[in-house]
Amino acid sequence: MPYRFSDEYSPADAGLIITGDSLEELFADAAIGMTEITADLVNIDESREMPVEIEADSLEQLFFDWLSEIVYLRDADGFLFKSCDLKIDIGKHAKLKGRLFGDSIDPGRHILKVDVKAVTLYRLKIEKINNHWRGEAVFDL
Amino acid sequence: MIHEKFNRIGNNIWEISPDFKPGMRVPVRIFSSTKLIGGIDNKVIDQITNVACLPGIKKYACCMPDGHMGYGFPIGGVAAFSTSDGIISPGGIGFDINCGMRLMRTNLTLDEVKPKMEMLLNRLFGTIPSGVGSKGFLKLDRKNFNRVMEEGVNWCLRNGYADRNDIECIEDHGRLPGGDHANVSEKAVSRGINQMGTLGSGNHYLEIEIARPSDVYDHDVARQFGIDRDNQVLIAIHCGSRGFGHQIATDYLKVFAQSVRKYGLEVRDRELMSAPIESDEGKSYSSAMACAANAAFVNRQLIVSGVRRVFREVFQKSDDALGIDTIYDVAHNIAKFEKNSIDGREETLLVHRKGATRSFGPGKAEVPEKYRNIGQPVIVGGSMETGSALLCGTTTADNETFGSSLHGAGRTMSRMKAKKTIRGEMVKERMKENGILVKTGYMPGLAEEAAFAYKNIDLVVEAVDALDISRKVARFVPLLNIKG
Repeated sequence: MPYRFSDEYSPADAGLIITGDSLEELFADAAIGMTEITADLVNIDESREMPVEIEADSLEQLFFDWLSEIVYLRDADGFLFKSCDLKIDIGKHAKLKGRLFGDSIDPGRHILKVDVKAVTLYRLKIEKINNHWRGEAVFDL
Repeated sequence: MIHEKFNRIGNNIWEISPDFKPGMRVPVRIFSSTKLIGGIDNKVIDQITNVACLPGIKKYACCMPDGHMGYGFPIGGVAAFSTSDGIISPGGIGFDINCGMRLMRTNLTLDEVKPKMEMLLNRLFGTIPSGVGSKGFLKLDRKNFNRVMEEGVNWCLRNGYADRNDIECIEDHGRLPGGDHANVSEKAVSRGINQMGTLGSGNHYLEIEIARPSDVYDHDVARQFGIDRDNQVLIAIHCGSRGFGHQIATDYLKVFAQSVRKYGLEVRDRELMSAPIESDEGKSYSSAMACAANAAFVNRQLIVSGVRRVFREVFQKSDDALGIDTIYDVAHNIAKFEKNSIDGREETLLVHRKGATRSFGPGKAEVPEKYRNIGQPVIVGGSMETGSALLCGTTTADNETFGSSLHGAGRTMSRMKAKKTIRGEMVKERMKENGILVKTGYMPGLAEEAAFAYKNIDLVVEAVDALDISRKVARFVPLLNIKG
């Protein structure tokens, strides 16, 4: 699995450690890992599609904004993330553009667990190690 | 044991001097007990000593007996800042702005509720939205949501969702001043506008509890708080500002990352991003935080409105006959301007309470008039298996902890470990054997919130009672629990 959960950060909350061959893969897996905290992935369809575009001062900020956007869409639009098609540029500014695929929250179909209230800055990290990307994120539940 | 390095300055107070860590401007005081102090985590010490490094901090940073690791401040962290050179930090308040507790009394007793337990549980579960994706029964338009965030529970009063006693018995009368919707992002509005009147998930709950005669420690004070009969039924609600407050905290973490650079502030933890209280950014966050706090007061009030409706239907009684009155409503994630005595001079400070409850003693104008001779009610939430506790504020708290006390039992076991230890169904069965019915949309969540995942509530309550920063009034056992 390209991500694993960790409880070493905080007893009350959830931590996620993600690895990927590309930034796009890492961002997608971080979002799906975070979604798995909120709902079982099994019955989440890809019946909805929406555009996404984020720009930030740094790659780490882009990672924070990306995950925060997925949290926001769950509450504001009832959107459960399933997958994405992203392009990430890390030039002077870090930019992300692409499409999100997912489902509308349906308590009748989905096994819903716990809200991620927010992405925290605690131990938030993204780094390249030997041509692979590794990220860490901790979520307030 | 890390606490052995600290100075024990009282029976239950340990002090960490400023030479513990470079940059500490004031000492740290850990308010605890001999039974609890050994369990204090190194991360908590790291976090509270980081707080002691923040600009403008006064006297000392405090950690309450239920202290455990948070983000920025530890949960159970209290710190007060000068308004002239101090800071405001979302990390001292929490993502769930004005997460808090409401406690209601009723005229009902256990005997009257017992035959209708199942029905009451199911009706409450069907009426009070809880869990992921839940939406409130109100369809608020933008104009009314602006009023909610600026007027707080006064909006509920005008619209028939609150009575005058509710307003009287909510901290700050259900409205923090200074809330201006212009300081709130569109994202925060769209996250929160449909969630008013919902419990949320995680450790949030609605609980029906019983005050057994053997668990009432101070009958005179209990009577003044409205606990006036044996095996009386009470209602406890634990929740906050929902996605609205979470988004405001997220938004301002980004704003304050810039402020730290702009004002040359040194912070030892990114979750302690701050801005000077008097800066434009600080004032803007303070206003947005007030909006979130007001929305949280409204959120709990709308839940109360739903609970009253269910009780009327289930028991076929009027509001007067049921006597469902607010004992008190406390915020335990908040920052507020309060008067404190510093070196013999009265000074207005910005007191941050992160997982800590205000515990004002007798005589304070902020305490409702009907409680002013005894002190403010302090409501302490425990796990869903152990119930909650009611205490009252003290002058010692006013003098020693910026008028603050504990907020809950404090988690000790991670959610993951709790789920590996026991299945939710087993927790439900065990609770049933103990006379408690529980309902949730997510069964493994019961394992996450099992009693063994928390500190013993009686130990933390005993600790604050011994410290005299709150005094024990009564302890309540759970009867019905709706877990978000």
